[in-house]
Parts: sequence; C-alpha cells; structure tokens
Amino acid sequence: MNDNRGRLTRCFSAVFPELNERRIASASPKTVAAWDSIATVTLVSVIEEQFGIGVEPDAFDRLVSFSSILSYVEELTASSH
Amino acid sequence: MKLIDALEALKEDPESQSPVLDVHLACGFTPLHLLTFLNAHLRREFPSYKVLIRTGIFGDLLGYLERLERERPAVTVAVIEWADLDPRLGIRRLGGWETRQMFDITQNVRDQATKLSDSLERISGASLVALALPTLPFPPIAFTPGWQSSSFENEVREILAYLASRLARSCNIRVISLQRLDRISPPGSRFDVKSEISTGFPYKISHADALAGLLSRIIRDPLPKKGLITDLDDTLWKGILGEVNVEGIAWDLEHHALKHGLYQMLLTSLAETGILIGVASKNDPFLVEEAFRKAKLMLPRSRIFPIEVGWGPKSTSVSKVLRAWNVGAESVIFVDDNPLELAEVKAAHAEIECLRFPRDDDEAAYQFLETLRDLFGKHLVSPEDEIRLQSIEASQVIAEASQSDGRAPEHFLQKIAGRLTLSFSKNTRDPRPLELINKTNQFNLNGKRHTEVAWRDYLNDPEVFLLLASYEDKFGPLGKIAVMAGRHKGNKFLVEHWVMSCRAFSRRIEYGCLLHVFQKFGAEAGSFDFAPTSRNTPIQGFFAELMGAAPPAGFSISRQQLFDRCPPVYLEIQEHCDE
Repeated sequence: MNDNRGRLTRCFSAVFPELNERRIASASPKTVAAWDSIATVTLVSVIEEQFGIGVEPDAFDRLVSFSSILSYVEELTASSH
Repeated sequence: MKLIDALEALKEDPESQSPVLDVHLACGFTPLHLLTFLNAHLRREFPSYKVLIRTGIFGDLLGYLERLERERPAVTVAVIEWADLDPRLGIRRLGGWETRQMFDITQNVRDQATKLSDSLERISGASLVALALPTLPFPPIAFTPGWQSSSFENEVREILAYLASRLARSCNIRVISLQRLDRISPPGSRFDVKSEISTGFPYKISHADALAGLLSRIIRDPLPKKGLITDLDDTLWKGILGEVNVEGIAWDLEHHALKHGLYQMLLTSLAETGILIGVASKNDPFLVEEAFRKAKLMLPRSRIFPIEVGWGPKSTSVSKVLRAWNVGAESVIFVDDNPLELAEVKAAHAEIECLRFPRDDDEAAYQFLETLRDLFGKHLVSPEDEIRLQSIEASQVIAEASQSDGRAPEHFLQKIAGRLTLSFSKNTRDPRPLELINKTNQFNLNGKRHTEVAWRDYLNDPEVFLLLASYEDKFGPLGKIAVMAGRHKGNKFLVEHWVMSCRAFSRRIEYGCLLHVFQKFGAEAGSFDFAPTSRNTPIQGFFAELMGAAPPAGFSISRQQLFDRCPPVYLEIQEHCDE
C-alpha cells in the first residue's frame, strides 16, 4: 500500500511540480489551480503508465482527489493480482 | 522515455540567462503528450537552451501554418495526420466513407497537400522546419479487405509521397524517415483510439515519445563524422592478402564475401559526399598497390587517401592518416575486424570511434552499414564536399613542393595563381558558413559554435556582417573555405567568428581576408573576440606573427599594425556581389 502511495505521489509531483508532498496528499481540483482537464488527462496517462493499468473514461468522475485516486488505483491493482 | 520521466525532465529549470529555443508545434490534434515529449527531447538535445514551445488552435493546422508564415519562428515542427488532409480520413468527424466519396476525398487531399506544402515552403524561408507526414494507420475506408491495398489508398499515399519528395529537396525542411519510425514505433501499436475519442490526442504514449525523439534529432542535426580509416584484410575484402595474393581476395556473392562488397559500395558512396576514406593496414605495401591496381574493387583507389600500409602498430598508421587529413581523431571512425587492433588504436587515440567489422555475421554486417550511414549522413551535399579529397591531395602537393623549393614559400606562392573571392551576402539558406564554424577547430578564433537557430538570429542582426571566402589556384578550387563574422560600426569592426578550413592553410588567405575587411570598412582598428582553445594553435600562431607576441584574450589591432607586419600576399582578391 505504501508503495502505491509513494508511486502515486511521484505521479502527482510530475504533473504538479509546484506541490510538495504534504499538499499532494490533500490535492484536489479545488485546492490545486493547475488541476484542469488537460492536467487530469496527463495525470491519468502517467498513472496508467506507472501502475500498468487502464483507466476507463467513465471513471474520470471518481478521480477528484489524491485520496480517491489512491483508492481507485488500489482497487485496480488488487483485482489484477 | 516514459511520460513521467519527460514530465520530471521539464521540472528542471534552465539558467535564466540561457538563450531561448523558440519552437512552434503545428498539428491538427490536441498536442498533449507529444508536446511534453517534444519539450523533454529538445531539452536533452539542446541542454544549454531554454526550450519554449508554442502551439496553435486544435483542428486548424493550415490556419496555424499560415500564421507562422508571418511570425517567422526559429523552428517549426509540423506534424500532419490523415485528418489534416481530409477530416473524413479521421475518426472524430462522421463525414461518410461511401465509395462515391473517395474521388472527392482524393481531390481534397490533393488540394490540401498543395496548400500545406506551399505554406511550409514559405515558412522555411525564415524558419527551420521539421516535418512528420502521417504516421497513423490509414482508416478502413476503401471496399478492399485490410490485407489488400486499394487504389484509393495508393492514390492518397502517392500524393503524400510527392509532397515529401518536393519538401525534402528544400534546404530548410527536414522530413522524418518513416522507415526509421517504423523500427522504433511499430505501426500497429501507434493509434490510441480511446484517447483520440476522449481527448482528441491520437497517439499511444510510446509513439508520441518515438516521434518526438526523431523530430528533436532532426532539429539538432548532429555533425557528421569527417573520415573513415579502414583495415583491408577480412574487412575491405575477404581474405589475407599476404596469404592468398591478389587473385585470392574476394568481395562478391560467388565467394561468400558479399558483405565486403557492400561495405566497399557504401565507402564509395560516402567518399562521393566528401567523407575522407583512408587505409591503415598491416600488409605488404607492394601487394596492396597491386590489389588496387589489378583487382576491380567496388571502391576505386582514387577514392582513398592516404593508404598507410606497413608492419608497425595500426595506431601509427592511423596517426599518419590523421596528419594527412589534418582532422581530429574525434571526427573519425576506425574500422577493423580484429578486436585487438581496435583496442590498440583506441588506446593511442582515445577520441576515435572504433567499430568492429562483423565479418562472420551477415545480419550484423547489414546493421553495420546502417550505423555508418547514420554516423556520416548529412542533410545536403555541398560543392565543397565533392572536391574535398582533391583539395586535400593538392594541399599535400603544395606543402611538399613548398618545402622542396629553396626559395619557398615566396616563390612558390607567386607561381600558384591563387584567387580569393569574398562575399558579404548574409544568405541564411547557405549552410556552408555555419558548417565551417561548427566543424573547424584549428584556425578558429574562439571555438564558439552556433545552432542553426541561433545562427539565423545572429545573421538577422543588421549590425552583423558575414564574410564568406572561396579560393582556387592552379591546383584546382577549394570552394568556400573561410568565414569571418562580426559587427561593423563607423570606422571600427569587431570580429566574433573567424574560421578557415585547414585545407586552405599556407596560402596567406587569412591575411588577404583581413586586408580586404580593413579596406572595405575603411577601418582604422579591428577588434577580435579571441580566446585560446586546446585546438586553435594555428590561429594563435597567426596572431602572434601579426602582433609580435602571443595574443591576449580579446584584443585590437590597427590598420598600421597590419600593414607593417603583413607578409606579401600574392592573391587576386575579388568581392562577389550577390545581394
């Protein structure tokens, strides 16, 4: 689980380089000005690449914060094992 | 490169004083990850630049290109996909794929291709253009099954092939090789349908990375190597000459030696483009001369200079070749089939790139030919490339004659009827001045290099002057051999670049150029942005002769100083007006 958190933090840091680790943990489109639709697509692509998963466009609505994305990633990685 | 690596590479801010590489990315789709990868690859290729990439409006490639015709950016990257030629060739617009539409689509593609081509040619007047033609699979429009090529698809591809062939001839447009792209990005794994539908970005991440990498490399255009030194036995030909004699060596299919024939063919082709080919071989010199005389090699004797054959270490022969060429080891490739010889040469010449000729492996031999083409490939072949070998041989004749003449060099220089033609035209389409600045090490004012982009910007400064010198004498033409560039104001000038090919040494061309610049500008003094480098001893010697002492970094000389110390110049100097 810690590994997933660390990898996801790296993804966020790559897409939102201005955020430190503390701000990443509480990041959402409301708290991060740079989190627009392009950033969402980039973030999803980086997560797909890093975790080797496919995110369906329908799931985008759920991916609204660091914690919701972490839960989603853990669901997907757990089901694939 | 992974997407996360590209994004992380962009986090590192270059120094604020770094020059800006202004790039416009023109494509009809949302650039998204292509933009990220292009930025990351360009930063890798241009580490001392701050890369700034701008993009246009989604879906309007032609409109954006037409805008760039007015903006005149330094670099334009144009990525054309099928939908840019006709929206019905994409999947985001439901325009119909009926058979009756095919004629109209073909016509539309033809019109659009002409407009794109015209616009890119206009942009290339002031901008370096890197172009990618459609890389995605052709959509399943035609009524033929996927395994059968339709006349419709072939007609559309023919239009594109014509467009590529037309644009690739332009000196400022570089078209990426689809064959090389196929190798690094398999065609069946490029199209990301889900991403195209959901975001308008049609590429898989790996394809975006591969395409951006090639585009960046084509913009960087690495300097080709200048010369190749080859071994003979079991490399240029199959067999050990000393054992099998001239009759026993082979390079053809019949003798299972085709790879040696292909290697010879490639070397001949390289020699034609101005690459120097020399030989370093442990052999009997008499037998080697006989082999070149009697055996009808694909690589003729006249294309090779010099041939260094003996029983001493290969590194000694390599040193002799480098001296005859007057080029640095870092610009040269050494080829031998024997790893021990390669190691011995590498130990003596650390900067030389040593490649093993794969004499026992046909696949590896073919790849080896491709590697050589990459190392020596150039965008254009100049008139200087065509006469390089001839002029190096002439230089050696001059050097030998000059030394053997008791009254040398004065008497000799008077006899050779040297003609120096000087042009002050700032023609940004002529790649030769920048090529000389970036390739010359010895007679080089300060070792400063330019990218094509920075060079273009520099020349656009109205205060900047450019002198390009061409030379010929009774031994033949040397072509464009010297460049001086700097700033001129009132009765003073500042030289910021000054280079001269080593093929042109010992003719007092440098004095001729300087005398003419003083005269042309009516200058009383000239300053030089001189800096000593580890390689520019010849220009240091020239200035020391002129000033009577080793030159300091950055100095001036007066007209009187030049006239007092200038030796007789026996050149006929003409200014060529072509503005």
